[in-house]
Amino acid sequence: MKEPEAFLPLSQATYYILLSLRHVRHGYGIMKDVEEISNGEVTMGPGTLYGALSKLEKQQIIQKAAVDSDARRKYYSLTDLGKDVLQKEYLRLESLVNNASGIISELEGGESGY
Amino acid sequence: MAIRKFRLFLASGMGKEERWLTELSAKGLHMEKFKLGLYTFEEDKSKSYVYQIDFQHRTSEDYFQVFEDAGWEHVTGWADMFQYFRTDASRAGVKKIYSDRESVMESYKRMMRVYLFIFSILILSQVPIWLMWDGHFLDVSVTVLSTLVILLYVYMLLALRRKIRFYERNE
Repeated sequence: MKEPEAFLPLSQATYYILLSLRHVRHGYGIMKDVEEISNGEVTMGPGTLYGALSKLEKQQIIQKAAVDSDARRKYYSLTDLGKDVLQKEYLRLESLVNNASGIISELEGGESGY
Repeated sequence: MAIRKFRLFLASGMGKEERWLTELSAKGLHMEKFKLGLYTFEEDKSKSYVYQIDFQHRTSEDYFQVFEDAGWEHVTGWADMFQYFRTDASRAGVKKIYSDRESVMESYKRMMRVYLFIFSILILSQVPIWLMWDGHFLDVSVTVLSTLVILLYVYMLLALRRKIRFYERNE
């Protein structure tokens, strides 16, 4: 099996899809949740979503989940690999921000100086 | 009343086709059916839709359900590859089925793979004629015809490659 690092960096769409799959959800459920957790910044089209789900399932980052009450929709959840990938991406993003924070405040300080 | 129009688009010109259908819909002509270049429209001045086409050869009940849930009505499919969707033009929110550059590029790559496959079958199917060439009228006419089709495919594959490169550069 591939190392989780091999899938990084994630695209913005993929990152949010994986975040939304902290709970079992179907396609449209993912779209609504992504809109919510991104504070309306990310609205995903159904083509983008469907393509991403097929790819993530093939990469075994997500898996189908059985939900008996709804035969028409497919439900998904994160695999162990998927959880790992998401955590590693989070740490990567966090260190990107941390490494820059001193530099950015320096820039801001410079601007207010004149 | 049903109105018919004939028009040919290459697969690589899907964006043009979408704009054409959306513009006609704004004028009250809404595409309902498609077959080999023949589009059938329903006339209704009170409505206006945005049309989008998805190149997708792996459809399922779930695929159509995701689009429907997201507010996209499935209009018709063609050749098990082209799926026509529409949504009310007055509906709020995003009116694109692909919402980022990366997924647009992926869909062109899918298209490229399928058309390269069809193209290679097309070439292979001509080999027997070339091998057993004896200059008959039939040989000549089949070859002229197939050469035209092959040239059209080459043109389209190059157009697709250009699109994919464009998105790769701008990622």
